[in-house]
Order: sequence, then C-alpha cells, then structure tokens
Amino acid sequence: MSLKNMTITPGWEKYMTKEYIDLVERGPYGKQKKVSEMGSFKEVLEEHPMCAGCAMTLFIRLTMVGLPNPEHTILIGTAGCGRLALTQTSIPFIYGNYGDTNAVASGLKRGLEVRFKDQAKDVVVMAGDGGLADIGFSAVMHSWFRKERFTTIMLDNEVYGNTGGQESGMTERGALLKMAPKGKLFDKMDMMGLAQTSGVAYIARLTPTNPTRVASVVRKAVMIAREVGPTFIQAYTSCNIEYAIPTPKVLDDARDIESKRYGFMEIISDEAKAYLDSIDTAKKAKKE
Amino acid sequence: MYLVAHIDQAICSETACRLCTQYCPEANTILYDNAAKTAFVAVDRCKGCEICVGICDDLAKHHAIKMIMITDLQDTFELSKEGFRPETWTGKHP
Repeated sequence: MSLKNMTITPGWEKYMTKEYIDLVERGPYGKQKKVSEMGSFKEVLEEHPMCAGCAMTLFIRLTMVGLPNPEHTILIGTAGCGRLALTQTSIPFIYGNYGDTNAVASGLKRGLEVRFKDQAKDVVVMAGDGGLADIGFSAVMHSWFRKERFTTIMLDNEVYGNTGGQESGMTERGALLKMAPKGKLFDKMDMMGLAQTSGVAYIARLTPTNPTRVASVVRKAVMIAREVGPTFIQAYTSCNIEYAIPTPKVLDDARDIESKRYGFMEIISDEAKAYLDSIDTAKKAKKE
Repeated sequence: MYLVAHIDQAICSETACRLCTQYCPEANTILYDNAAKTAFVAVDRCKGCEICVGICDDLAKHHAIKMIMITDLQDTFELSKEGFRPETWTGKHP
C-alpha cells in the first residue's frame, strides 16, 4: 500500500464514502501529525466495536498517531480484543493465526525488503498478552533471536478478556478472575527481561496515561525497527470489564498501576541510540 | 435513553488545553474547532465512558464537560451525517 494507491481515481469521488474522502483529503498522510493536533485531522482509526472507555482503544488510537508512515505500514494481529479496532483502520491488517503473528511478520518484512528496495515498509505486530506471551511465545522469542526488523507491541490487559477472563502469563500473581477463582498462583512473566536477554534493540514499557509519550515511543520503536533490529513495546491497557473498573476510573487505575508497578521504562541499545541521534542531527541540519 | 459528553464551549474556548481530544478512546469523537478554539463532541460516536469528564475535572481542572441525556441536547453534531469538514465548523456546534 502507498498513498498513491489510496488516492481516489478522478471521476470516482461520488462513489466513495464520506469517510474515505475525508481520510484521503484530511488524513494524517504526508506530514507527521502531533498528538496535540488530535481532533483536527481525520484519524486512520474509524468507528469500532470495542467496549466504552477501554484503555486498549485509547492506546491503539495513540499508536496510530505515532506511526511515522501509516501509508507504508502493515499491521499484524491475532484473536483478541485489539483486532476489533485494528481491523477498523485504513492500514492493511493481517489476521495471523493464534501463535504465528511474529512468524508471519518475519516473512512479510523480509519479502517487503526484497520487493520495495527504495521505500521503507514498516511491519507492526499488535496483539494481546495471550497472543504474544502465551500462545505466540515461541514465535515472538525466535523472531527476536533472529533479529527480525519489525516492531512488536503487546497490548497487556493481563487477562484473556475476549473469552471470559482466563488468567494469562502476564496476569499478576494473586489476581482473582472469573476463570481463575482461586487467584493466579504464579508470577507475571518478565517479558521486558526476556526481550533484553534476546538482544531486542529498543524495549519500552508504558501505560496510556501520557498520550505524547505513547506516540513518541511508537515512533522511536518503528524507526529503530527499520534500520537496527527488533523492537518491543509492552503497554498496560487494562480490561475494565474483567477487572471491573468503572469506565470513568480507567485512567485513574492506569495512573495507579503505573505508580505501583508499571512505571515508564525504556531500554535502548547503543546502536539504536546512535541511530536515533543520527535522525535528530539530520532533522536539525534540514531545519537550518 | 443514554448519556453523552457535552462540552461547555464558553469555558473551553477560554483555555487551549486540548486534553480531552487526546484522552478520548474513540477516534474523531471529541473534535477541535481551531477557529472557535473549542472542543466539541460528535454525539453519534460518543460511547459515554466519561473518561473526558475525569480528564477535564481532575487533570485540566476546567470542569467544562458534563454527561447529558442525548434527548436534552439540541443541534448536536453527528460525524456520520456531516463528515469531517473542519472548514465548516467555525463555532456553530453546541
């Protein structure tokens, strides 16, 4: 996909939906949009069937603003809540089978590099904690070991929200859930540590309490994945249904969890840091 | 009937915080009118989660957003009807 493919063939405007015309004419293409401009440009995310007040939706919305080139991006997801919104974006979405998201992304990214030598194409995997840390675990780890150049974003709601509240590897010890009535008996998996051990170039952990930060972390992760190596973002996106959080309190909960055990953390390799610095220098030089 | 967010534009236009537009989980639901310098709600997209109310009250401390019954609102803005056309907004949406 590219912007050329999206623009409407002259004469066909009257057959296109309002939403599509708005997106092409007033969408975020061409120039990187800022979080502070939200509400005054048409977003790539459309209406979607996710629950009211879902923190995951907020995170996905901010991610879409953070993407450096939405017209040159392909999303990969799997079963879970996130795909309900991800499929409603104007970005191509591949529905991987449960467990193989990162394997699909590996092949896709390699193929795109061969096919489009002059244009960077970004591949972003966005799936839940179950899809990446439990069922897709081996594919995730091996994509990191092989240093595949794409971004993996974990929407960590700490539960299997879509299937009625089973515990996942990322659920906190002792958490009581509908399908874990005795409380979870084991610790939350340390995906940040595993990513570090596997040599992931850029690792970040965050909550959607700071929109500008979410967008900038996503942008950094995607840029580093283009040139340096695998990147990983682990985001706390609470399930207000399974954890019974009243919707007006969703962000209070996120702030609370952030202060207790999910503080913003960024682990960046030397090579990735040098690359980011080189981008900044190039940008400054361009301005002058 | 159901509640939707409603922004008091007299209060909102005095500030330039734009926080509700960033924290709303729904895309293009709280829109920002650059000419009138105020946010407003596309009521057909609002799911009534009240996150914006908390943001406006606690974070921004402007107290400009209230939840109001959809039937008590007049001349509401619906994105599905009017489309995303910022040049036509210019302060005429309640």
